[in-house]
Amino acid sequence: MTLRSYLVGLTLATLLPVALFAGAVGYFLVQEQRETFRTGAEARTLAVLTAVDTELQASISTLNALATQRTLDAGDLVAFRDRAQRILATQPHWVNVNLARPDGQQVMNLRVPAGAPLPNIGELDGSFARLRRTGKPVVSDLAVGPVLKGWSFAVRVPVIRNGELRYVLSGGVRADSIAAVIKAQGLPGDWVGVIVDRNGRIVARNLAPLATEGQMASQSLRDALARSASGWFRGSTIEGTAVYTPYRRSEVSGWAFAMGIPATTVDGVVSRGFAFLGLGFVGAIAIAFALAHLVSRRIATPIGSLAGAAVAMAGGAAAELKETPRIRELRTLAAALHESSHAIAERQELVEREKRALQGSDRAKDEFLAMLSHELRNPLAALTAAAHVLKVSDPAGDASAKARGVIQRQTKHMARLIADLLDVGRVSAGKVGLARERMDLADAVSAVASEWRGSGRFDRHHLSLELTSVWVDADRARIEQIAANLLDNAVKFTPAGKGIRVSVRADGDSAVLRVHDEGIGLQAEEGERIFDLFMQGRHAEGGMGIGLALVKRLVELHGGTVAAESEGAGRGAAFAVRLPAVAASGAEVEPEKSLPGAARSVLLVEDNDDTRHMLEAALAAGGHSVRSARDGAGGLALAAQSPPEVALIDIGLPDMDGYELARLLRSARGCEGLSMVAITGYGRPEDRQRAVEAGFAAHLTKPVTPERLRRALAELP
Amino acid sequence: MSAARGILLAEDDADLRLALKLSLEAAGYTVATAANAQEALAVQRREPADVLVTDIFMPEGDGFEAIDAFRREFPATRIVVVSGGGQRGKADYLAAARLAGVDATLQKPFEIEVLLETLRGL
Repeated sequence: MTLRSYLVGLTLATLLPVALFAGAVGYFLVQEQRETFRTGAEARTLAVLTAVDTELQASISTLNALATQRTLDAGDLVAFRDRAQRILATQPHWVNVNLARPDGQQVMNLRVPAGAPLPNIGELDGSFARLRRTGKPVVSDLAVGPVLKGWSFAVRVPVIRNGELRYVLSGGVRADSIAAVIKAQGLPGDWVGVIVDRNGRIVARNLAPLATEGQMASQSLRDALARSASGWFRGSTIEGTAVYTPYRRSEVSGWAFAMGIPATTVDGVVSRGFAFLGLGFVGAIAIAFALAHLVSRRIATPIGSLAGAAVAMAGGAAAELKETPRIRELRTLAAALHESSHAIAERQELVEREKRALQGSDRAKDEFLAMLSHELRNPLAALTAAAHVLKVSDPAGDASAKARGVIQRQTKHMARLIADLLDVGRVSAGKVGLARERMDLADAVSAVASEWRGSGRFDRHHLSLELTSVWVDADRARIEQIAANLLDNAVKFTPAGKGIRVSVRADGDSAVLRVHDEGIGLQAEEGERIFDLFMQGRHAEGGMGIGLALVKRLVELHGGTVAAESEGAGRGAAFAVRLPAVAASGAEVEPEKSLPGAARSVLLVEDNDDTRHMLEAALAAGGHSVRSARDGAGGLALAAQSPPEVALIDIGLPDMDGYELARLLRSARGCEGLSMVAITGYGRPEDRQRAVEAGFAAHLTKPVTPERLRRALAELP
Repeated sequence: MSAARGILLAEDDADLRLALKLSLEAAGYTVATAANAQEALAVQRREPADVLVTDIFMPEGDGFEAIDAFRREFPATRIVVVSGGGQRGKADYLAAARLAGVDATLQKPFEIEVLLETLRGL
């Protein structure tokens, strides 16, 4: 079932009782009309009959007047005849006047010469008998009189003398006098008005009067008259026309008037009524159908298009409606649909975006791995080559010195790479603690820049430094890491011959490190993403995509911010790190930098030969006296020979761990005032903590640079 | 060992460039260096070398450009490609270089003996 057929059904259901009611009312109205018509017809019948009675009454009155003639008192028929003769002359419809004895024997007849024999008319019809019985005037039936040929009837009045009936005075009247009366009624042309006598013989008829005069009326009329004195029946005329007939018998004459109304006229009234009713009914249903159709279309069409929109939505398209529905509920529905379509679109877009981000980060990871391989292979290649040079060249020669320089720088570079790699994950996971100290930001930046300059990494660029002392509360190693990564980034993306400007200055409450390059710049859309992990922005020309991510995390760990600015691709970029500035503690720093550190006797315990040799060389260069062992037992033996002032201990030794060695050393004789420095491969806070607990005064993470070693020794008590 | 030949070394990493130069010089080669493809071409025009040892990824003109230019301008110069592997996605650039018709390819890091062996074999 469609919505439309439901609506049409609803309309019909509403219409049906109304239609039935209207039908009933219509039926009663038609019946009423029919009744009204019938009443009207009967009234008209009575009117015609009354007119006929009046006509007959006129004749009766005239005869009554004649009956009072004195001449009859004494039976003077000659004189009476004369009088009657004169009266007859005044009555145009009268054809004769006669006088008879009560038994019917005529004594005078104006149509018969006086004295001639006259027939008895007492038995012609029942009129004499009726007159004798009632003593009142009567009208005879129609008859062809024996004297006067042609249809006529008689009006008879009693002649009373001395209280007894002496004569019967009759006036012969032509039937057509009655016909004139009917004619004067002006009946509609196809209506048949007819006057019949007691015998049912036609006295007068408006239709074909001459042909029907004196004939017997139709059987149906005669039957009806036999049943009752007045009424209404359906029958047919003598011509056979179907008629409805109201009729009435006159009390004056005993005659009846019947009015045949063609059945088509009467039924027409009814059938017209029913036709109107039916037409109205059919019309109403048709209109109802049309309206229902129209209304249902107004409802069904927008619902259809809403359904279409919903289907389209399921297919992923936006729900668009050609026009706003006029029905409020549907408008609400459309609006809701529209909204959910939007919501779905938004959600889809979100999913798409997340998908793209995932794909992007997946790709970034792939590129990162490729990059990592490249970044690690390069220094390894350099180390391999440098080692080869050391092997084949004169150790004291220039080539070997250069090779050692390569090794020194590249190991440091690799160490930083690896540290960065490990750090970025640990910083992200919040596992990095800061060893904060009050330090000069300019000093840290200067140290990194000097080191880089020394290694020739700025050879192809113009580096300018504008460093103003600003103090921060920060982890020196981390600050150097930040500076190194920013410099690395600048070098990587700045073409040879272009400038790199590094500045440190105070700005309000902040210490600002700014590295500005004249490199390839940033695309507008790179913006913040440049700090995302593995994001190799600024084209794919280098970088593992961890440097800037690490910078951002470290800076934030220090409670600072980092921002990238660029005027667009090819126009350079600037990275600004802002850290909270603190008050300078000038007294502490100057001595540290100025004092070379006192010469000490140092015991070095390190199992890795390369590291041990490097550290020996560094310590010797610092003016310290060094004795070294490659394991714990060796170290203890040396300490037993002569207690050192400082012990430099690798934690990962073959025979015992550094903590154990530290414990044993401290309890050795003569070593009560020993200062110990731990060397580990790990820089985790828990490692530092453990070192402190084991009695170490300082803790160095591999690789240990000569500079850090120098600083650590200088800081020892 | 064959007669000492001139080698042009194109490598953007300064330390690697230096270490390779020292190694090759120690093996008796004459070594000129360049930090990128354009520089390499300029050096070669000035002082033609017998062999080009080049990295693939360098700023300002990468190894493929150098290979192209050398193949056109100096068809007699032998080319050895050294690379740290794919930087852009997962493509195998050494394989690409081999297809480009270079004489040898080496993946970083490599033993210098292998490089020397390769050079001797050219």
